[in-house]
Amino acid sequence: MNPILTSVPPYVLLAFAALAVLALPRRSGHAVAALATAFTFAQAVLLGDGGTGAHLATGFLGFDVVFFNVDQFSLLMGVVVGFLATAAVLYAYGTEAPKWVTSLALIYVSSTVGTIYAGDWLTLIFFWELMAVTSTLLVWQYGGAAVRAGYRYALFHGIGGTFLLGAVVVHGASMLGSVPAAEIFLFSSTTGIHASATLLAAIGIGVNCGFIFLHTWLPDTYPRPHVAASVFLSVFTTKTAVYVMYRAFPDGGLWLAYLGGFMAVYGAFFALLQYDPRRLLSYHIQAQVGYMLAGLGLATAVGDFAVTGGFAHLFNNVLYKSLLFMTVGVVVYRTGVEDIRDMGGLWRVMPVTFLLYLVGAASITAVPGFNGFISKGMVIDSAHEIHNYVLLLDSGLLWWLLILGGVGTFMSFIKLGYYMFFHGSATLSPKDATPFQTAGMVLAGGACVFFGVFYYQLIELMPFTEFILSEDVYFKPYSTSHLTESAWLMGAGFVGFFALKRPLGWLAHHMRDVDAVTYPAAFYLARGSVWGVTELWAAVDRAVMTAIAAVEWTAMNPREALGRAGVDVEIRTGIGRSVLFLTLAAGIALFVFILA
Amino acid sequence: MSDVLLPVAIAVPLVSATFPIALGLKYDDAGWPVAAVATTVLAGLAAAIGVEVARNGPLSHALGTYEPPIGIELVADELSVAVLALVAVVSLATLAFARVAGPRGNSFYSGYLLLVGGLTGLVLTGDLFNMFVFLEIVGISTYALIAADRSGASAYASLKYLVVGTVGASLYLLGVGYAFLATGTLNMLDMQVQIVEQASYADPLIRASYALIVAGLGLKIAVFPIHAWQPDAYQRAPDAVTTIVAALVSTASAYALIRVSYTVFTVDFLAANDAITTVMLIVAGASILAGSALAAMQSDLKRMFAYSSVAQFGMIVAAIALANETALLGGIVHLIGHGLLKFGLFLGVGLLALGYGGRELDDLASAARSAPYTAGAIAVLGLGLVGIPPSVGFLGKWYIGVGAVESSMGAGDPAGIGIAVVIFVSTLFTLSYVARVIERFYFAGVGLSDGHGEEAHGDEHDADDHGGSGSDHGVAADGGRESATGDDDGPLTPVEGAPRSRLVPDRVPSVPLAVLIVAALATIALGFGGYALFEWFDPFLTEVFA
Repeated sequence: MNPILTSVPPYVLLAFAALAVLALPRRSGHAVAALATAFTFAQAVLLGDGGTGAHLATGFLGFDVVFFNVDQFSLLMGVVVGFLATAAVLYAYGTEAPKWVTSLALIYVSSTVGTIYAGDWLTLIFFWELMAVTSTLLVWQYGGAAVRAGYRYALFHGIGGTFLLGAVVVHGASMLGSVPAAEIFLFSSTTGIHASATLLAAIGIGVNCGFIFLHTWLPDTYPRPHVAASVFLSVFTTKTAVYVMYRAFPDGGLWLAYLGGFMAVYGAFFALLQYDPRRLLSYHIQAQVGYMLAGLGLATAVGDFAVTGGFAHLFNNVLYKSLLFMTVGVVVYRTGVEDIRDMGGLWRVMPVTFLLYLVGAASITAVPGFNGFISKGMVIDSAHEIHNYVLLLDSGLLWWLLILGGVGTFMSFIKLGYYMFFHGSATLSPKDATPFQTAGMVLAGGACVFFGVFYYQLIELMPFTEFILSEDVYFKPYSTSHLTESAWLMGAGFVGFFALKRPLGWLAHHMRDVDAVTYPAAFYLARGSVWGVTELWAAVDRAVMTAIAAVEWTAMNPREALGRAGVDVEIRTGIGRSVLFLTLAAGIALFVFILA
Repeated sequence: MSDVLLPVAIAVPLVSATFPIALGLKYDDAGWPVAAVATTVLAGLAAAIGVEVARNGPLSHALGTYEPPIGIELVADELSVAVLALVAVVSLATLAFARVAGPRGNSFYSGYLLLVGGLTGLVLTGDLFNMFVFLEIVGISTYALIAADRSGASAYASLKYLVVGTVGASLYLLGVGYAFLATGTLNMLDMQVQIVEQASYADPLIRASYALIVAGLGLKIAVFPIHAWQPDAYQRAPDAVTTIVAALVSTASAYALIRVSYTVFTVDFLAANDAITTVMLIVAGASILAGSALAAMQSDLKRMFAYSSVAQFGMIVAAIALANETALLGGIVHLIGHGLLKFGLFLGVGLLALGYGGRELDDLASAARSAPYTAGAIAVLGLGLVGIPPSVGFLGKWYIGVGAVESSMGAGDPAGIGIAVVIFVSTLFTLSYVARVIERFYFAGVGLSDGHGEEAHGDEHDADDHGGSGSDHGVAADGGRESATGDDDGPLTPVEGAPRSRLVPDRVPSVPLAVLIVAALATIALGFGGYALFEWFDPFLTEVFA
């Protein structure tokens, strides 16, 4: 079984399926798409621990490359991406997504899966750039406001991709000499990316992760395209980036952990200020990625437990974040309204959507019984062991950042739910979700509940399973302290939201994100530099032409030029002067020739 | 017996020079036929001499049964045959132009034949004093020809050349006198032996003699800074006269310098006197640079190409002073090639002046549209002057440059590299003025269409007579409309009564045009004959570098 499975790279199937979606009628096309994504999921599950290894290894331009690298990490990514993509295809079918949306989404999934299964930096950067291209196309497909946002998105990812490409080149050059030249790009040759490429790699991957100040493309782009496209976009680019971050920095680093902590607070805070539901969720992507990075960053300081926590959170986040995008998408799809202040009272008319929203919100806010509770707890537990900057309660800055982010998350999802489903009287009376939308949402939501209750299954899928379940590690998610902590978070969230509702409303109108500065700055900088280069060139051109004209005039009118310089002489040689010159020449010749 | 060809070749043009005047008593236009016959015979004799030299080696003839070294000897070797051929061809070909361009009159053709005879003698003589005589014949006939159109400017140019040319010739004579004092002989080959036997290469008398000869011939060649007569003479002379003078007179003087330097004083003398070659190289370098730069400054085409000659002869003098085989070969090739190029260029400029009445660059905007063949030939010749292969202009420059670098490599002397650099810089200058000519000919006034009709119809008829005069353009064109469109960029208008041809659109006489095109093609053909030229001059080079 395994040899057959490992010889089929799933992204090739997905690419063909993307073509099939275009070629076939809508229904059968989506069926093929769902089958292809389901195959990706099934393949990863079936391969399991027995299927690990570097498959489809070959050579490219004299370098060893691995097109299908199976290990614990790529497998867990394959499982969740395949699963969620299947749910998303169903959802897209139920949301009347045009063929082109599903097809582009599928080719985007294909490049994501390619990135996941890459076994060397060359393959990875290839699929990474492809991912940027395909996701941009997916955004552009929607037209309208999505085009300009997609253009900014492309700029961000083009720059980020170039940074990562630079990192790969530096990595390769630095590896020369330590391993055979052909193997310099293989993951197996080294642990993570070479130290000399650290900054380049961190920035390049950081753009996709949504590092603070590099994140503005997230809330800018994701609310704009088709609602089904948003579901795909919301989970793959950022989560793959976290995964690649681990590939590059398997040893983590406190810089990464603290960056994650600040992202959690920053993202949650700005999410609180949003009224566009998809924009609000986009800020939460940044916040949730912050938790994952905090876990991965503690790989050395805390150990494998933190890494597992980070990856578990990644895994769960794919499920609940897409679920949230799906439920919000249903509301937008049914009502056509994109401002939560214009919604309200929808829980009566959309009970299924409301329930599934509750599942997603409970998962992301880490309510006990849902999967987010398990993984976020692991990350926060890990952070509790860091005591660099101890604040209150004998806890460090990192822990407080993550807790603060958690409170913010609570507040914003209470806000989102309150505005969408309760607040005021129902002015809209749309229908509930379509059957296929429901199917997609139930798949994702079911997984959220399943992994929240049967959390050992979650750990089974994770790396370092035996270590986590061994006696050395204190892993009891439903201990009293965890439940108390969760209750405190929830209480603080409720009190916080209703207490701060008015100030937050005021702040939402006055607090802009950094893009209020960076976008105009970049725009005027670019325009200024274009103008500057053009004008500089024109100035150089004018100066050169003037100089040439001056030289030409002087050459053509030498006597007049001399006259202007104050020397008024005849410069043409007359007869007398000619004879003088001749005599002098003869004299000099005689003098030199005889005395030489 | 074939050595009799040599005195006959000199005698034919000299004796014929008397016929136009004698026949002029009876016929008004006897001059041209006489000159045509004489130069045709000369060309035949030159061909015969060439064949003879090619078959049996150098020819020599003792004049009047007085045996050398006492008597005067005439010699033809590979070098002199090459220059003789150039003289014969150019003098014959120029006649085709002189017939239509003037100056007319029997006395002009007498002078013309006298010049040709002098040049022939200069090339063939083997005697230093005899060389002075022919130098003077060439000089005096040139003075006369330059002033042949009787304008004030040409008279001044002629007078200037007369004065400085006479001083220059006197310097040469003085030099020959010193050499005679030192050796007691005037025969070139004999003097070559006597310098070693009776004097030495370090003898002040010999050195002074060479200095004076170089100064005298340098003036005739027109190297910087004693070139001042030459631009005036070339510019002011009638076009036909410029054509032959520019192609042959300086060329013959440069030939004389090669002959005196290598046959009389020999390469050993040059090698023994470093200072002499150094000074000559400096003067040559200055000449190349100054000539090119001055040429680039000119707007009158004849003056531009006149200054260009200063630069080209600088290269030839440099080739002489470098005293190595490659450079000398380059110098000789350039001597012949430059003669041909300048013949063609001045002929082309003269034809344009004849057909369209302009010699200034600005008067000839978009000449290529009205006169494509003339302009095309000028462009080809101009590019040859720059040294673009496959033109003979490239060959000469290339060999001189290679020889310069070789002499630097061999002796560690920076002068050679310096000359190579100077040649390169001068090539850039040459490119700049030739490109200017080509730009004016081909690209000036691109905005204008040939027929004004369509342009006028496209306008919004704000000027009331616009459309009307546009349609019957053929009749009314040369009225106010021409000036209204701006005479700067307008297409070239032919002068009244300019000849028409059925074959070409050029409004220039067709026979000289054919000659021009043949000349342009010949420079390219010669460019392909690099190896043949090397083969031909090899015996001469082997002899002087033995």
